[in-house]
Amino acid sequence: MEYYTLSRYAYWKYYILVFYYRLAEFPRPVRVWLIFGSICMLLLIAIVIGNAIRSFAHYRFERLIQHNRQRYYERMKTVVSQARTLEPAEISAILELPKNFKMKERQNRSFVPTLMEVRREMEGYMSPSNWVRLTQALKMPAYFESQILSRSIRKKVQGFKDVADLDANLKEAVASRYLFTKNRKLQMHARLHAARFGTSYPFKVLEDDPNLVFTEEMVVKYHNVLVYRQKNGLSMPNFIRWCNRVPINEELRIFAVNEIRLFNRKEDCAELLTMLENSRDEAFSCAIIRTLGELEYAPAEDEFCRRYLSASFTERQVLAEALGIIGSGKPEILRFMVDDFIQTTDYVTRMVLLRVIHRYGAAGRRAYDKLKAEATPELQPYFAHIECDLIDSRRYA
Amino acid sequence: MLEWFDTVFSYFVGVYATFVLTSYVIMAILAFFEHRKHYTYHDDDYTIDELKKSPYTPGISIVAPAYNEEKTVITNVKSLLSLDYPDFEVVIVNDGSKDKTLELLIENFDLVKVPYAYVEKIKTKPFKGLYKTKSDNPAFKRLTVVDKVNGGTKADASNAGVNVVSNKFFVCTDVDCVLDQYALYRIIWPTMASSRRVIAVSATMRMSNGSIVEEGKMVDARPPHDLIPLFQDLEYTRSFLIGKTALARINALQNVSGGFGMFDREIVIKAGGYDGDSFAEDMDMVARMIRYMCDSGEDYRIVQIPETCCWTEGPPNLKVLNRQRTRWGRGLFQFYGVHRDMVANRNYRRYGALTLTYVFLFELLAPVVEFMGYFTILWFALRGALNYHTIWIAYLGVYVFAQLLTMVIISYDNWVGTSFKRKSDYLWFVMASLLEPIVYHPLNVYFSLRGYWKHIWGTQMVWGNMTRKGVQSAKPVGPRPAGPAPTPAQPVSEENNSNA
Repeated sequence: MEYYTLSRYAYWKYYILVFYYRLAEFPRPVRVWLIFGSICMLLLIAIVIGNAIRSFAHYRFERLIQHNRQRYYERMKTVVSQARTLEPAEISAILELPKNFKMKERQNRSFVPTLMEVRREMEGYMSPSNWVRLTQALKMPAYFESQILSRSIRKKVQGFKDVADLDANLKEAVASRYLFTKNRKLQMHARLHAARFGTSYPFKVLEDDPNLVFTEEMVVKYHNVLVYRQKNGLSMPNFIRWCNRVPINEELRIFAVNEIRLFNRKEDCAELLTMLENSRDEAFSCAIIRTLGELEYAPAEDEFCRRYLSASFTERQVLAEALGIIGSGKPEILRFMVDDFIQTTDYVTRMVLLRVIHRYGAAGRRAYDKLKAEATPELQPYFAHIECDLIDSRRYA
Repeated sequence: MLEWFDTVFSYFVGVYATFVLTSYVIMAILAFFEHRKHYTYHDDDYTIDELKKSPYTPGISIVAPAYNEEKTVITNVKSLLSLDYPDFEVVIVNDGSKDKTLELLIENFDLVKVPYAYVEKIKTKPFKGLYKTKSDNPAFKRLTVVDKVNGGTKADASNAGVNVVSNKFFVCTDVDCVLDQYALYRIIWPTMASSRRVIAVSATMRMSNGSIVEEGKMVDARPPHDLIPLFQDLEYTRSFLIGKTALARINALQNVSGGFGMFDREIVIKAGGYDGDSFAEDMDMVARMIRYMCDSGEDYRIVQIPETCCWTEGPPNLKVLNRQRTRWGRGLFQFYGVHRDMVANRNYRRYGALTLTYVFLFELLAPVVEFMGYFTILWFALRGALNYHTIWIAYLGVYVFAQLLTMVIISYDNWVGTSFKRKSDYLWFVMASLLEPIVYHPLNVYFSLRGYWKHIWGTQMVWGNMTRKGVQSAKPVGPRPAGPAPTPAQPVSEENNSNA
């Protein structure tokens, strides 16, 4: 009897054929279910093994984070709390890093939570230059760069977030690769990074992108970025230019108007008023009215009065609020607010008007009392509502 | 004739089973892509940090109806008031409680009746009054208590809450639910990240039976150690992490849970609010919101978030489970009666064309087909026409498939950020999964059929009592400011809870 040594491929082929002929003995429904069950079983085993491996890796990584925290946390705090800018060798000595210190990606990653904790605790007390040198001593900039240049989208996004959280140095050339990438989320993070750390005019991409979708998420993030820039003395964008640019996204224009209010840019009010005169869009008009009102720009009152009677209920509420804040006490303004209170059919507008009249100086209070005395029983609850101090009548909706 | 029936029925069952199993596979794949997207782009800490700092963070109102909840209401309201979010209000609707729910609220939170100008945007049972605190405690200032005449359903009480909320979005929950500390940040984020109008957000809910809760806050989330709640926990996790996530991926989510879900107030009011006559009021609400959006030609999204934001106490025994599932079965049947024009209707986009058709074929009809299947197998066996080889192998295949699905949800749960501290807790899920097809599933089929039967024959049905055992507490809760209400650690039985 001769024996043959089969190759690896032949072995597989042999077993598959055995399986096939065994299977062929059964009727068709049994074959179908057998194949289905076998596939499920194989997948089940693969997922169980995958979960076990991932859990073990996660456990080891958590231990590494704890280890780093125990070993370096206090030393890191010592470094960043020094008033004098330390030399890299001094930082290495404090951290007790070995010579030719090198880390794998996993080890770098394990430093991020500890660094964040140090930054959060020492914010306001730490030396920025020592912070930068600390991150350099731990080779974090190179790590972030490798993350952002890696193939994984998650690593890129996480890299941008970590850079923002740790205020780490990253070459502008690396981040700018993704300013116009097709992946919108990645693009947003790259742009936010540029907006946060850019030194020239990093907001140009927003102005130049005709396909920009400016979501509320971006509103929140860009505002935080602008606060950061102002705090660190970096150049700020010209909001009024954003409002004026014709091809710019409508949401971005509204954002710019709101930022004028939040950054208290009173010098832009005159131009905003001109824009209001030409504005047809309700959301944009409301943003301008709110801004002019909260910045107490008195010259806007005439335009507010002009717009009032042709405005929608939403716009009327914003106009009344703005007029209330400016509070110049002009009798004609009070008169049309009183008239509209009597005529309006919208209950929220009515409540806003009543609240504004109530707080519109002595004349306002007189008008309020007169309205109350003449009010029908259906309108009485509004007066009681306004007069109750326990209810925040601004939140009525 | 018999042979003809055998052949037709066998083919029907084969095709039906193939469709069901294929739909599960497709949903698991769709859910995979959604979870991968979440894993790639979402960072919880980063999001929370950004929202905390921003003046643009939108306000949220929490609406929680309460009926005869005197034993737990104070702890639970305190828990709601201690949530972490910059701008939120808590609206508790006392739905004509017969016990001391309102008195306890007044006493503990220094409440006084205020002359609120109540406008009934959605019709409800008469409004009796609104209470605000006179205390200087800033947390208490977030609280509003609405008192109204009992409407008999949670829907009516929720509608009264919607009438007084002041924010654009409101979260609808139950007063006995335990919310995650950061639940509001998580649930608002999808509305901000989407370029389309998000009209509702659903979040993952789990069972609190077996978890450790202190002062209404989740301290240690654990799977239930009793069999009935454990089966439900597994069922909920599967439903949220696979079914709902997959449907949300294609913007065809059919239900935002009444236990914890966020809605756009304006659309809810325009859609007419919750239907007090419906036994599936949450599903009905979503259908009417979608109907409104589609009829008015507006674009919308309904989102499902994978993180666990809320824990609720599930029925602890068969009796209560029977009542709950019978009501759900009846609710589903009733839903299809009311919204039959939306089924397979492309005017209602993927929701009408796909989801409602799918739910009709594979959720509403599934118990009927399964029930017929049990009888037919018995009949075949009595006639000696049963091929035992095929039957056992088919059962084994389906059984292994069920275990595979459980392993998939464990992977997904791990991936999106598990709420369990110990990975070994998943062994409870594995155990439940091994028993579920044999023990729990046939029971569910029976309860659903009972619900259909009751609906068809128009049997009078009340919402029923929900017996709560209470969740575990790690340590005794500290002294209460006033009032006799016990801590949630003590076993409580809720009487006449029409909102359960």
